[in-house]
Amino acid sequence: MKKRMVALVSIVTAVSIMAGCQSSSSTSANEPTKLVIAARGGTHVTAMEAVKETFEQEHNAQIEILGLEAADLKQKVSLDSTSKNGAYDLIMADDPWMPEFGEAGIFANLSELGVEADADFEESSLALGKHPYETGDLYALPFAGNVQLFFYNKELLDKHSLSVPQTWEEVVNAANTIQASGDGAGYVIRGQQGNPIVSDFLPIFWAHGGQVFDDNWNAQLDSEAGRKALDTYINLLAAGVNYEQTDIVSSVSEGRAAMALGWPSWFISEGKASANYAPIPSKASASDAEASTGMIGNWMMGVAANSENKELAAKFLTFITSSESQKVMAQHGGVPTRKSVYLDSELSAKFEHFPVQLEALQNSVARPRTTKWSLVEEALGAELSAAIAGTKSIEDALASANHAINQIMQ
Amino acid sequence: MYSRRRFQWAMLAPVILLLIGLTVFPFIYTVSSSFTDHYYLAGDSKQFIGIANYKRLLQDQLFLQAIWNTVKFMLLAVSIETALGLAIALLVESMRRGKKVLRVSLLIPSLLPPVTVALIWQMMLSNHNGIINHLLGWFGAGPFNFLMDVNLAFRTILFIDIWQWTPFAFLLLYAALQAVPRSQYEAARVDGAGKLNIFTHITLPNIIPTLLLVILLRTIDTFRLFDKVNILTGGGPANSTMTVTQYIYRHGVFNLQVGYGAAASVIMVALVLAFTVFYIKRSIGGSEQDGHR
Repeated sequence: MKKRMVALVSIVTAVSIMAGCQSSSSTSANEPTKLVIAARGGTHVTAMEAVKETFEQEHNAQIEILGLEAADLKQKVSLDSTSKNGAYDLIMADDPWMPEFGEAGIFANLSELGVEADADFEESSLALGKHPYETGDLYALPFAGNVQLFFYNKELLDKHSLSVPQTWEEVVNAANTIQASGDGAGYVIRGQQGNPIVSDFLPIFWAHGGQVFDDNWNAQLDSEAGRKALDTYINLLAAGVNYEQTDIVSSVSEGRAAMALGWPSWFISEGKASANYAPIPSKASASDAEASTGMIGNWMMGVAANSENKELAAKFLTFITSSESQKVMAQHGGVPTRKSVYLDSELSAKFEHFPVQLEALQNSVARPRTTKWSLVEEALGAELSAAIAGTKSIEDALASANHAINQIMQ
Repeated sequence: MYSRRRFQWAMLAPVILLLIGLTVFPFIYTVSSSFTDHYYLAGDSKQFIGIANYKRLLQDQLFLQAIWNTVKFMLLAVSIETALGLAIALLVESMRRGKKVLRVSLLIPSLLPPVTVALIWQMMLSNHNGIINHLLGWFGAGPFNFLMDVNLAFRTILFIDIWQWTPFAFLLLYAALQAVPRSQYEAARVDGAGKLNIFTHITLPNIIPTLLLVILLRTIDTFRLFDKVNILTGGGPANSTMTVTQYIYRHGVFNLQVGYGAAASVIMVALVLAFTVFYIKRSIGGSEQDGHR
């Protein structure tokens, strides 16, 4: 009796399992294919959420977007890259990560997946997705076309009969005037050690004719341009304050500070800007030569090399970076990377900053394309921080930065 | 007898396996990685480089400063938190009313996740809209740039840590105070002992094991200080808040230099052991003595 019972239970179990397998295979044909996107959190996710449904319906797909903080995103993507079957199908990457990710083979070659470079993308943005930079194969497309701008409080400048500064010498003078009047801080630097201070300093360094590296990857911080730029930066701090992002935005927007550098998304939301903006001054003084100074900070998107759904992921990448999608996403905080979107008359009327942003993108500068940029930024950030804190002289800080960066690049 | 021993091993096996998987293997892997140039994105192409990582670390001024900052932070935080925790415990113990409410409300900061604590303080310390600078403004002081002033950043992080973890010291010490036999106090009072004498001759000897435990736990924990620094200052300004864990994170985790980060981790473990071996010995010695009694 006992044996019969055991046999019966076994048969029932086996039949159930088989039936289960059958039913799952029969439904899997209609089940949507899931694509997982490792994305930078915030408005990028909101923008994608606004358009993804169209793609899901057209391709019987389900798009899951994981919004992550930047450092977390880099870490998760890197750790997942060595798995045979990756957890992510599409990956967003900050553009300075591209050389490192390209070298490590994290992204699939887009040309092999039928995705071609489109001339409508702003050239400076498109170049970031190629490995090697500008000349190599295409591995990622520009998703968000961030570029740094110069933000100012018009009322404060007008009150002191100051026009929008065109050179860094004029910025320092204007900042001194406003600071001395007691109406507010003349200028706000973003001096937190690490990426913030480096991003805040480099445009000034470039305007002084500086380059982080020469053609042989030797550090060039300890130079005449470096010393003048850091002196300017310290003078700006003397004529103002040192805040982090939230305080920069609120102080300039509310007229408690006059000028600062920043990313468009900090000040501009749904076409409304809380402060006035202009391209970053491109010269140290009126007699100096012009240089490109707008730091490009695009968020790129590519197909993960270890994705099991590369073809579908490539289709989504084409879809999400298309002109049509970018036009919709712009209404939800997206930052276009296509010229046609920036020049669209309807959008330009609503988003008045588009012409300035396109101009800044076209004259932008990419941070040096090296796999070791994160380490370089770390070393430079520490020395710049020491210089503005007064624990090191300008000369010592730049000499130390040069030494540290050269060691990293060895 | 044999089967009983086998049963004991069978019962212990899951714990032993867990210990090997979660402690022994990672430790051996970390130590062996520290002698290689392992860069995570380079896959398996790591090479044995001897003690090169250790040499580089000990020549790196930033790492040495991170060690000094961490040790300084540990000494200050542990001593202040323990002293304050003890003072509050004695105060609450001596109270006749409101003990329960105070006990619960005092514990709230230590119940919060470190990341939440860091974000809350970031908002409160904001130069422009932070409540602390607003409050100071009413008294005609400030505004202070708490997190970006090289003279204030370290002290600010220290203050936040003390705010968060003093309740932890209080909790353990308060529990220890409850266990002191009342008869000893009564006998001392009958003999005419003063408050100071009662504290030094009765209270303190009775709570010494707990006091050492608090010091041990806080020492280990302050060495691992990370979230507050990473969120609030990023190690700056001018590396004044750079800690060993922040250094390890930047190199080993964010920049994926596993070998180099592992070497820094091994040095950190050695330092923690150096600072805690005294307390561990005391604890083990104490429990062994208890066992022999």
